Amino acid sequence: MAALVLPAGLLVVMLLVAPMALLARISLNRFSPTELMVEATTAENYWRAVQDPYYQQVLGTTLGVALGCTVLALALGFPAAYWLARMESRWKSLATILVLFPLLVGNVVRSAGWMALLGNEGAINAALMGAGITGGPLPLLYNGGAVVVGIVAVVLPYMILTLAAVIEGIPRQAEEAAANLGGRPMTVFRRVVLPLALPGVVAGSVLVFILCMNAYATPVLLGGPQFKMMAPAVYDQFVRGNNWPFGAALAFILLAVTLVLTVVGSTLLGRRYRAA
Amino acid sequence: MGSLVLEALSKRYGSSTAVERVDLEVTQGEMVALLGPSGCGKTTTLRMVAGFIPPTAGRVIIGGQDVTHTPPYARDTGMVFQSYALFPHMSVAQNVAFGLEMRKVGRAERDARVMEALRLVRLDHLADRLPRQLSGGQQQRVALARALVVNPAVFLLDEPLSNLDAKLRGEVRMEIRALQQRLGLTTLIVTHDQEEALTMADRLVVMERGRVRQVGTAEELYEHPADPFVAGFVGRCNLIPGRLEAADAFRAESGALLHCDSGAAPGPAPTGAALLALRPERIGLAPDPAGRARITAVTYLGAQTEYHVEQDGTALLVARPTAPLGDPLRRLAVGDAVVLSWDAAAARLLPAE
Amino acid sequence: MTTTRRAALTGSAAALASLTAGLPGLARAQSKQVVVGTWGGDYGELLRQNIDQPLVVPQGIEVLQDIAVADPRKTKLLAERQARRGTYDIACLSDTDMHMVAAQNVFEPLEMGKLKRGSAILPALAKPYAVPHIYSALVLLYNPSKVTTPPTGFADMWDPKYRGRVGFSDILYSTNTFSAAMAGGGSFSDYEPAKKKLMEMRSLDARIYPSNEALAGALKSEEVWLTPMWLARGFMWQKAGIPVKHVVPKEGAYAIVFEAAIPKNSRNKDNAYTYLDAMLQPSAQAAFADRMGYLPTVKDAPLPAAIAQQISLSEAEQERLRAPDYDYLLKSHSEILDFWNKQFKA
Repeated sequence: MAALVLPAGLLVVMLLVAPMALLARISLNRFSPTELMVEATTAENYWRAVQDPYYQQVLGTTLGVALGCTVLALALGFPAAYWLARMESRWKSLATILVLFPLLVGNVVRSAGWMALLGNEGAINAALMGAGITGGPLPLLYNGGAVVVGIVAVVLPYMILTLAAVIEGIPRQAEEAAANLGGRPMTVFRRVVLPLALPGVVAGSVLVFILCMNAYATPVLLGGPQFKMMAPAVYDQFVRGNNWPFGAALAFILLAVTLVLTVVGSTLLGRRYRAA
Repeated sequence: MGSLVLEALSKRYGSSTAVERVDLEVTQGEMVALLGPSGCGKTTTLRMVAGFIPPTAGRVIIGGQDVTHTPPYARDTGMVFQSYALFPHMSVAQNVAFGLEMRKVGRAERDARVMEALRLVRLDHLADRLPRQLSGGQQQRVALARALVVNPAVFLLDEPLSNLDAKLRGEVRMEIRALQQRLGLTTLIVTHDQEEALTMADRLVVMERGRVRQVGTAEELYEHPADPFVAGFVGRCNLIPGRLEAADAFRAESGALLHCDSGAAPGPAPTGAALLALRPERIGLAPDPAGRARITAVTYLGAQTEYHVEQDGTALLVARPTAPLGDPLRRLAVGDAVVLSWDAAAARLLPAE
Repeated sequence: MTTTRRAALTGSAAALASLTAGLPGLARAQSKQVVVGTWGGDYGELLRQNIDQPLVVPQGIEVLQDIAVADPRKTKLLAERQARRGTYDIACLSDTDMHMVAAQNVFEPLEMGKLKRGSAILPALAKPYAVPHIYSALVLLYNPSKVTTPPTGFADMWDPKYRGRVGFSDILYSTNTFSAAMAGGGSFSDYEPAKKKLMEMRSLDARIYPSNEALAGALKSEEVWLTPMWLARGFMWQKAGIPVKHVVPKEGAYAIVFEAAIPKNSRNKDNAYTYLDAMLQPSAQAAFADRMGYLPTVKDAPLPAAIAQQISLSEAEQERLRAPDYDYLLKSHSEILDFWNKQFKA
């Protein structure tokens, strides 16, 4: 058995752990404009990132967008997931494929689509101005709203499919029993469907939250130059600033914050489930 | 509590008919069973009563009120589901309390009524368990308590015993019937098991392909089946195709002449192709070397012995109480000649389908 | 045992060789190939049409373009600098980027003996580690119908008349900062005054666009009237019907030179030299001038008079142009980027 597991285990270590370990090592090095990276063991990159109001704000923006997108994806995804899970006909597999369909298109291409829709000369503004509703173009692109819309569109399929898998496991008769006992639809949802779907809510929210925290292409393309989230900030440090140590430190701060919030959030929700 | 009336209740899905013009009245305190093979429309009928399926036509009236277009939560029915449908995340007590909460019953009264309902099904000691910690029979009783605690106008049971093993099924059957009678519940039960229907219900509704074939007490259905389907579905029956030749003579298709009494059943005797219905236990049998009937198989079933017999090309099943040891009947074997006898009034004439 | 195994290995190698002999792209490409790390778009396309196809491929060398914007390719060059085998045989970068990467010992010092066209290079543009391919000047572009008094220098962008009408391309943060430094009395080696000027510009509602193309769109829709840009871009945009004129700022500006170099860990150095020679051919140089408005970097490339008039610079204008202070930029780069991101854009 060990002989079978070992090669796969080693591969996982190589693929997952080794790059992370290397990144962790880099984050402790020192940056020099002329030599790029100087071997060192210092926490100064972390201190600089934590104390810098700019990166505090970037992290704040990232958290705000990630939480907002998660809540929105949950609110929009739950009805869709419920509908999908309760579908009985042969259309179900077609509907599942339709939900998956957006994932076949890369984030960059999809963002380009949003740009064509939201830009100053995009479809929406063209329609509004063409109809004489607005005199000039509305600033729909290059702001937080565009990013949230773009990210929600990206993560919605993940949320829907995760929720649908759990909702499918909720016996329909439990809902009927609740209705039979006098529960109105909203009460049935709140008292029966939601508590039973909570494992899916937790799994879907965690998955989506992590995706949102690490969103790169969407904030860069739809947020414009003045909207910064953590992943693009990390990229900036690596690629534009050539400051690998600081970029690595930022990456680990992003990872730590994501991890802590994920664990805390799912524990709190899980506790509620047990209490319910 | 109240009565339940179904008026020409129908359900169609596209061109296929699930339930066709069902008329039924269940009086206060009565227990009526919907009986039939799977796909006969009995469960669809029950779900229309509960409000889960909107009827295509017809009306559902509970306690004198037309509830055809009332949503399930406002119908005041108490349903026990085939799968019990307990809320897996709630304790036994929380499950039972749910309906009372929905009716805004105060905390103290609610707790008292929950415990009372649980005592009724002898589960008060398991109030804090989760459903998955209970046996199938216990879960079934929680489902009963949960449906009963709200004093529903109509009590609905959907194949309530099908998930229990045979031994438990007999016990629970008696238990439900006793509760129903003690509380005077107006009850509609769906089952495909004729024994269950016969032992529990005051009246039975035999359904087939969406239509009601016959409504009556167990005895009426058994003794006076309206058609060959009912005769064959409720109890076992020899159904012999042929036609009436005289008021007391039936000519089977095989040529055998069998005696009967065409005046025994109400209404005019069928004139064309007909079926002679003869219950296996109503046929007498005696060894007789000159007899025209031959034994083709003998099955010993303990209290009963069944004989497969052939007479003039017509196969008949005969069921007799197993004779005491030493009786000549005990020595009958395949190939032996016998003579068959029955009371002419026991042979019912039914129109061929 | 050893002999049998060796025999088996030789045997399979021979089998492999005979198999691949039928596939020219596989076995032979290993030796007759050159990998060019370049921008896509017009630049990559013009390389293909005017250098790869007519000049390099006929010599039996297969050209593979590895296309990306400058930053990731720079990062790749730096990341691979210790590797024995690199990705690129030719790296195309701007002069500032090239200098920064060259400072990390990434490139092969050019052997002039292997570069047949070496002597044709304009002496002012020659570098020990890279050949100049094309060049252009930093200018101030303006919309002549909106900016009716032609501007003379970068400082004119700070005229309150043009509030909200000055646009910057985000990827040109270093150049934009330079324009602010010069407007504020700084120099090629002192960008410090840019900080105050950029914050002033911020309160004048400057607009920032994520790419040069987005900026071009804003110029076209006349959302933006003024921007610091390369003359060659201005030439291309004008050809595309965007209403812009240019001025070489009186404060002084620098030339941008697009260069090509050979990484030390290139696997096909001979082919790389062949490629550099092709880049310096007069026909190729003229094509870039015609299509993109960049100036030739060799003495003997003829320019059609009409184009020459549009993209060439007068002597007075030439006098205002200097090379950037590469060492200053190398040291200050991260500070410039930080200020741009954290203060100006925040």
